[in-house]
Amino acid sequence: MNESTRQDPRNTIMIYEPNQRANLGLMRSWVFMFSNLINSRYLTWQLFKRDFISGYKQSFFGIFWIFISPLIGVLSWVFMNYTGILNPGDVGVPYPVYVLVGSIIWGLFISIYTATAGSLSLGGQLILQINFSHEALVAQQIAQTGANFVVNLLLISLVLFIFGIAPSWKAIFFPLTLIPIFLIGTGIGLVIAVITVVVQDFNKLVSAGLGFLMFLTPVIYAPKFQNKIIQNVVKWNPMSYLIVGARDIILYGRIENMAGYFYSCLLAIVVFMLSWRFFFLSEYKIAEKL
Amino acid sequence: MNDVVVNVEKVSKKFCKNLRRSMYYGATDVIRSMIGIGTKTNVLRADEFWAADDVSFELKRGKSLGIIGVNGSGKSTLLRLLNGIYQPDKGRIKIQGRVGALISLGAGFHPLMTGRENIFLNASILGMRKDEIKRRFDEIVDFAEIGDFLDAPVKTYSSGMYVRLGFAIAIHAEPDILLVDEVLAVGDANFQKKCFERILDIIKNGTAVIFVSHSMTTVERLCTECILMKHGKQVFWGNTRECVQRYFHEIGQDNLLKSLQPQTVGIGDVVFSDVYVYQEGCDRNNPNIEFGKNIIIEFNYKFSKKESNNNQFRVTIRTFEGRDVQKFLFQESSFIDNVVYPNEKIIAFKKEGTARIKVLQPRLFPQTFRLDVAAAPLDIDVHLGGVANARIFNIIHPSTDKMYLEYGNMGVNEFDYSVEVN
Repeated sequence: MNESTRQDPRNTIMIYEPNQRANLGLMRSWVFMFSNLINSRYLTWQLFKRDFISGYKQSFFGIFWIFISPLIGVLSWVFMNYTGILNPGDVGVPYPVYVLVGSIIWGLFISIYTATAGSLSLGGQLILQINFSHEALVAQQIAQTGANFVVNLLLISLVLFIFGIAPSWKAIFFPLTLIPIFLIGTGIGLVIAVITVVVQDFNKLVSAGLGFLMFLTPVIYAPKFQNKIIQNVVKWNPMSYLIVGARDIILYGRIENMAGYFYSCLLAIVVFMLSWRFFFLSEYKIAEKL
Repeated sequence: MNDVVVNVEKVSKKFCKNLRRSMYYGATDVIRSMIGIGTKTNVLRADEFWAADDVSFELKRGKSLGIIGVNGSGKSTLLRLLNGIYQPDKGRIKIQGRVGALISLGAGFHPLMTGRENIFLNASILGMRKDEIKRRFDEIVDFAEIGDFLDAPVKTYSSGMYVRLGFAIAIHAEPDILLVDEVLAVGDANFQKKCFERILDIIKNGTAVIFVSHSMTTVERLCTECILMKHGKQVFWGNTRECVQRYFHEIGQDNLLKSLQPQTVGIGDVVFSDVYVYQEGCDRNNPNIEFGKNIIIEFNYKFSKKESNNNQFRVTIRTFEGRDVQKFLFQESSFIDNVVYPNEKIIAFKKEGTARIKVLQPRLFPQTFRLDVAAAPLDIDVHLGGVANARIFNIIHPSTDKMYLEYGNMGVNEFDYSVEVN
């Protein structure tokens, strides 16, 4: 481990011992990984450039791909709503706006999860050949989704403008509400990233599960309905609070259930911290299983 | 400052042969450490084996260590342990300074990005900082010899250019400890030579280098000391020559040593006998020759019929592995008119007699060599007679810990020699 600073590599002393990481305390492991992240920010940037810029080099639609998938998603919900198949309840704003904002936020959660979960398998050969901070792989993947999300924000603003909806000033808290979504997405992703290296189909299972979770979260419908079962499921689903919170702050300028939101955020932090620790402990095992 | 930069103490690493078990072990290990009960790593569970077992050595700055052994003997595992990719299950590794790796050249290159962009990408994966990359950028480009292709996507590169660029980046990371895995055979002969020289420079400048190689020639040229691995165990650590000989002994019982038995070649019109290679002024049965001393090569020959005088003797020094180092050609007449090629000498032969070559202070670095002798007519491509591996001899250095690096490149300069035939 890199016990001392990286500033003067000649004086860096690295010691490798059995169970070294496990013996490092909970707190120190977070500090360690965090400093790894900071130290590898240039590497992260380079990896980001590689995958982001060159990802669009050989494509015709280029950056418009970022819009295309949420738009098509929204189109299908709006179509179902229009034909009367889907009854979302009273959402207070035009349904297309409601579903667009909701699904972009949900999409952020899913893409953060997907990016994190896939980061290690993508970096596979590299991990076996060169010793570098694997955190950079995760960070660059998240940065990719971040960049895509910024583009999507432009789409949201455009749609709000077209429908003549002016968000309240409280919408400036919107970026803050993304933090717990980021934490829980990364948290689940980090665990799955490690497991996927060993058992490859695990990722698919969780992805399918999260796809279903969307219907248990008020993304395409309003959070008020008669059915007791769904009511309970939504009530105990932390994602409800996180997604609804982020959407409501843009559309209505308020978070309705503050207590529920608070506990969900707390849960997101705990999940993130624990899975980070999990990632930290199992990182070495990854190279052996690749 | 402490000169020992790599310190490996009784290091072991285990792996699991069974995929299902290995998944199970991995899962339980991580869960156990999550809840704070560690797993004993120093005992083997079912289906586990030691891929590296109780390895200990140390390496000082400016020294080079070879790791040799047959496939599956644990060389790569050891290298990955040193690189910090695997964590040891027993023992302790202490490394002082920055570790560089010439392991997979061009790792992480993106084919659509230009050479320039890939230099920044690859160098940062190798742990270089932005300012370091900028500072060495020109040097890297120069070294890689990619010229106008710098701003072209690397997918347009030839495979040679690709590895040259990869090598150039890795070698410019200025590590304190450099790990090299079998990559010196990249590019054409010129580039290989350049790589060698660069690595020699790096060692002279104080970097400790660890090589994993199957080429004993490379190991003997570059390494001051050596480790022999067998079934994960370190069976020898010390002098390179001795280590390489042990290696040949291990693998060679059936194939290599057999191939080094003298073998008669040709149609049998010329018979060679009493071939000797020895140090001038010493016993001709002693196959050990001190570095830098004159070498005498001697043999008796007998033509069964000798009608023409257009015969040539061909005496070849080859490395242990069979690469030509130097040919000595001497003949009765010149092949075309009176042209004498630079490495040929004109000398009269009898029907039978003794030939004696005196090689003046050849630049043969310490290693084991073999000698072939043959006779052939100048105009027909047929061996009249000859013996391959007629003699095995060793170049040795009196002080074995002296670096072999100073001996320069073999075979680059023609050797000075004189011939007498009686």
